[in-house]
Amino acid sequence: MPAEAAVHAPDDLVEYYFEQAWSDGLPVVPPTPAKIGAVVDALGGDPDYPEAVIPPRRGTLTREVLAINMVLAGCKPEYAPVVRAAVLALCTKQWNLNGVQATTHMAAPLLVVNGPVRNAIGMNAGHNVFGSGNRANATIGRAIRLILLTVGGGTPGDLDKSTLGHPGKYTYCIAENEELSPWAPYHVEHGYAPGDSTVFVIAAEPPHSVVNHVANDAQGVLDSIVSAMSTYAHNNAVAGGSCAVVIGPEHAATIAASGWSRLDVRSYLWMNAGNTWDEISFGDRYAGGGKVYNKALPKWYKREPGARIPIVEKPDDIHLFVAGGAAGRFSAFIPGWGRMTSPVLRKIDGAAPPAGAVCVDGTCAL
Amino acid sequence: MSGRVYDPRGVVRAEHRDVAPRVASPAGLRLGILDNTKWNGRRVLERTAELIAEQAPFAAVTRYAKASFSVDAEDELIARIAAENDIALIGIGD
Repeated sequence: MPAEAAVHAPDDLVEYYFEQAWSDGLPVVPPTPAKIGAVVDALGGDPDYPEAVIPPRRGTLTREVLAINMVLAGCKPEYAPVVRAAVLALCTKQWNLNGVQATTHMAAPLLVVNGPVRNAIGMNAGHNVFGSGNRANATIGRAIRLILLTVGGGTPGDLDKSTLGHPGKYTYCIAENEELSPWAPYHVEHGYAPGDSTVFVIAAEPPHSVVNHVANDAQGVLDSIVSAMSTYAHNNAVAGGSCAVVIGPEHAATIAASGWSRLDVRSYLWMNAGNTWDEISFGDRYAGGGKVYNKALPKWYKREPGARIPIVEKPDDIHLFVAGGAAGRFSAFIPGWGRMTSPVLRKIDGAAPPAGAVCVDGTCAL
Repeated sequence: MSGRVYDPRGVVRAEHRDVAPRVASPAGLRLGILDNTKWNGRRVLERTAELIAEQAPFAAVTRYAKASFSVDAEDELIARIAAENDIALIGIGD
């Protein structure tokens, strides 16, 4: 079914899309048959092919509708495989897009792209990686958000009940800086070949900056990240789940010079970041004379005064990336939504995942 | 300018279903309470059931819980609640 509204195009299409609320609040690029056709071709043709159903509205995302949203966002056709892989990752059951769309929490999908596609489409993995200035980063993330708004019905206050939201709900898409990383790329750590391209998607809070200009070893740099992680204000503290840590290239070089691997980093952060049970239970002050339990946290946590409560259940729940510019001693901690969602890593182009990983239909549960 | 405008929303394919008819009174009926496991969900639901029961006592009250507050109740759980009760009470309690 052609996704064309039965109206004649007005003179000012940008204003028309604003009036229909088919926008994220910023001007959109008016779609034309030629632009839509180029994206549909990049997706493999067949414009009516249903790629996904987007909750909570449960609109059908055909290739043509995907193309419309990509054009509205300002994407080039060559971004299509990345956007499609990200959408399919978001729509896997364990990602729980329905919950992320509707929650009062501020979570937004954070995309991290790995592999040769980053450079092929000109993504930014360097300076200002979370900021503005790069078309691929900006419009891939924006296309995802437009799809969640229009097809998914995530209109603020209607089906999107987020109390605050965050700026990543305009666009939240980066690439790993594989060239400046002292370690194997994230997707290689997770079983893919360096020549594969992947997209990782996690429901995430905004990045929290971690500064450390003094430490000249792994422990010192990581202790600053531990400090950022060890609060009970973010969702991981009270609802577990997964989080992301983005190490800036200078910090990564310092850590690697101490001989530490990715697993060493994740394990150290897991071992040392956390709160006490007293902190997250408020000492039972609000338990009405009873005791707090907190069903969102793993059964095996000791719910006793003084017991340590880690930020996430295990080191594998800390997703580690190297990104950012060559200069500057900064990293970032990015809390997730909680155990109500699991991040998903998906290979771009739909080819079968490598043997050995626990994957279904190209999507790997982490 | 002539031509048509592309609608970005996609089509919703769904069957229409009517909601169940309202009961005249809950008195003497079997009540199922589905706790969504939110922080205050059970408190809100239990107190609501108490207040209703003061006016119209139930024949039985049975409690159920979702696996997680943020995911749909499983089909099997919904079928069980429907089979074992006449009416059901749900709510969020954030």
